[in-house]
Amino acid sequence: MPKITEQIMDALDVETFFVCATEEEGRNLMLNLIKSWGFTDADVVFAQHEGPGVRVRGRAYVYRPADKYRWLLREAEAAQEG
Amino acid sequence: MKKVLLAPLDPVHDIGLKIIARGLEEAGYETLLLPPDLTEEEIIDNALRENTATLLLSRTLGYGVAEILARFVDLADAAGIRAKVKLGIGGMAIRPELAAELGFDAGFGPGTTVEEVVCFIEGREYRPDPTRCAKTKPDMTAGYGYGYRHAGIAARLDRISAQIMDWVKDKSSPGVERARLRDELWNAAEWRARRGDGELYRHYPALCGDIPRKYYASGELHPKTRRFTKTEVEGLEKYLADTKARMSVRKLQHSRRKPLVFVQYGTGCPFMDIGHILASEAWGADGVVHFDPSWGARTEGFLDGFLTHQEDGTVITPANFNRIKGALEDSTLWQVRAHRGLNTPETAVLAGKMGADLTKINFCYGALGAGTDPARMVVDGYHTILYAKKYNLPFDVVTNEELCGVPAHKAFAGMLIVADLAVRLGGRPILQPLFAYSPEVMVGGLMADNYVDFNTAKIKALRGIIDAPLWPGAPIGFLTHTEDRVQSAMATALHACLASSLEVDAISIASTDEAYSGGPISAPSRIDTLRAVQEGFRFFGQAGINPTSEADRYADELVAGIEKVLDEVAARGDFVAAVHEGLLGSRAEGAYPGRSGKDTVTIVKK
Repeated sequence: MPKITEQIMDALDVETFFVCATEEEGRNLMLNLIKSWGFTDADVVFAQHEGPGVRVRGRAYVYRPADKYRWLLREAEAAQEG
Repeated sequence: MKKVLLAPLDPVHDIGLKIIARGLEEAGYETLLLPPDLTEEEIIDNALRENTATLLLSRTLGYGVAEILARFVDLADAAGIRAKVKLGIGGMAIRPELAAELGFDAGFGPGTTVEEVVCFIEGREYRPDPTRCAKTKPDMTAGYGYGYRHAGIAARLDRISAQIMDWVKDKSSPGVERARLRDELWNAAEWRARRGDGELYRHYPALCGDIPRKYYASGELHPKTRRFTKTEVEGLEKYLADTKARMSVRKLQHSRRKPLVFVQYGTGCPFMDIGHILASEAWGADGVVHFDPSWGARTEGFLDGFLTHQEDGTVITPANFNRIKGALEDSTLWQVRAHRGLNTPETAVLAGKMGADLTKINFCYGALGAGTDPARMVVDGYHTILYAKKYNLPFDVVTNEELCGVPAHKAFAGMLIVADLAVRLGGRPILQPLFAYSPEVMVGGLMADNYVDFNTAKIKALRGIIDAPLWPGAPIGFLTHTEDRVQSAMATALHACLASSLEVDAISIASTDEAYSGGPISAPSRIDTLRAVQEGFRFFGQAGINPTSEADRYADELVAGIEKVLDEVAARGDFVAAVHEGLLGSRAEGAYPGRSGKDTVTIVKK
């Protein structure tokens, strides 16, 4: 069973609303959340704080251009094995 | 005639069933549609009385859906109809897996077609027809005669084009020479048949800069590039075969024929590009645009081989072009940008030989906004137009110098100069005004109330001057996008709808990552804007957007401004000097004549 992340073409985006006091706090919460899942190449694409909290979208790049994409390589490996 | 009973298992909603019932009747079925708000027992009584072979239920409300549907199946079983009546269930909250779990024979979610239901009734497997959205590849320049509607501007352009043609006639450059070699010595069919590159590389490296020369001497690559492995190539081939087998494409324009919608790819990696292209085609893109890395524009000569690149812009090589071209749907228009940099003419030659449909040329923008020396850019641009004609490549004349701060009327004057020269040389230019919240607009308050009037004015002004195709870009909505994907998709869709309302020929759209600079554009962000544009086109259909009377005033001012600039350029009598002196955009306005390729123009000895 291939790892699920191997089928992500390039990046995983996560959107949520954190109850928090500042945009900076919301950004940190998002980065910590993504990193807690084991992703290392993480960033906040968008964050907007208004009174109750922050609307925030985080991104984990699974592959950047010129990486070796498992969604391609596993196809080739499967073909070789088959 | 087969009888189908349709019943909403819902207190009020039955629209979906009505649509399916109408479709089934058109397909020759006898249908009986029960009213909403019947009990499960009443529906089963009707099924018994009508002796129906198929019962289609619908349930729009999501709350408690599983319990209600499970109870219905139990009751049907108890009444003895379950074994002889096919049971289907549809609705917003329904998915095939849920329906099967609850004991139904089929489940139909949102977007179900009548054909799917007919297949269910007749016990046939549903196979979506990939040709149901069959697209053709149109020529967006067809029907345009390039006749002038503004005689005064035509006369000014006549003088300027004559000056440029006279100036350029005895000039060449390393870029022009490489293009000539590629044109004369390199045969794409031979190369595809693995019979080599002919005599090209005996002469080519001598005309190149350091990076390609090192590559041809020792195989050393640009530090941000690497060759693909054999396993990666095999993986791509398998991926392409699998994806193409299930591929179909959407049409975005609803009831209209245009505008065609283009997206730009250029992740750096041809394989990732292909992934993005296939996703874009599936979600409705009519065309895709190739651009090279920024260092490629400042490098004399191309590399060769099957190369991936870590940063923005995909390396131009025959092998990379060949893979990308091979992955495209037959209906997809393929544009290769050649508007800037030191490889402009050879880009058009290679694009033409590899089967591109369009290119992009503007030596004014290339010199003022993209860093190439004006004299070099004019020589190279002139020859690029000739190659575009030879390889049957219409090209847009982009005006992105507006983003540096150049006022629209100056950028338009430059665009018209290139377009006029192109028409004289037999080319087919497409005018590309920006739909943008440009620095000129911000400073002048030209969009203080709305984004409609000034963008409309650009189209009105250009249509008042010449009968030529129009392709706002690139991308539409430049500088109106933010990192918020909802806002960005909305801004793109609204600009697209304005373009549609103005009946232009094509648009280029950005992804919702347009304003995000922290990393590469992601595949879903491309789909965001395609979906938004499709929804916008659906919303407006043949209806339109009404500008205010300001649009006419702005259009008049643009035309007057263009006339004044063309007067000044014509009077200067030396086009390259006019560019240096800021007549088409000054340093104060953010336009800096480029330095790349300075002093490389050569005089051709007779």
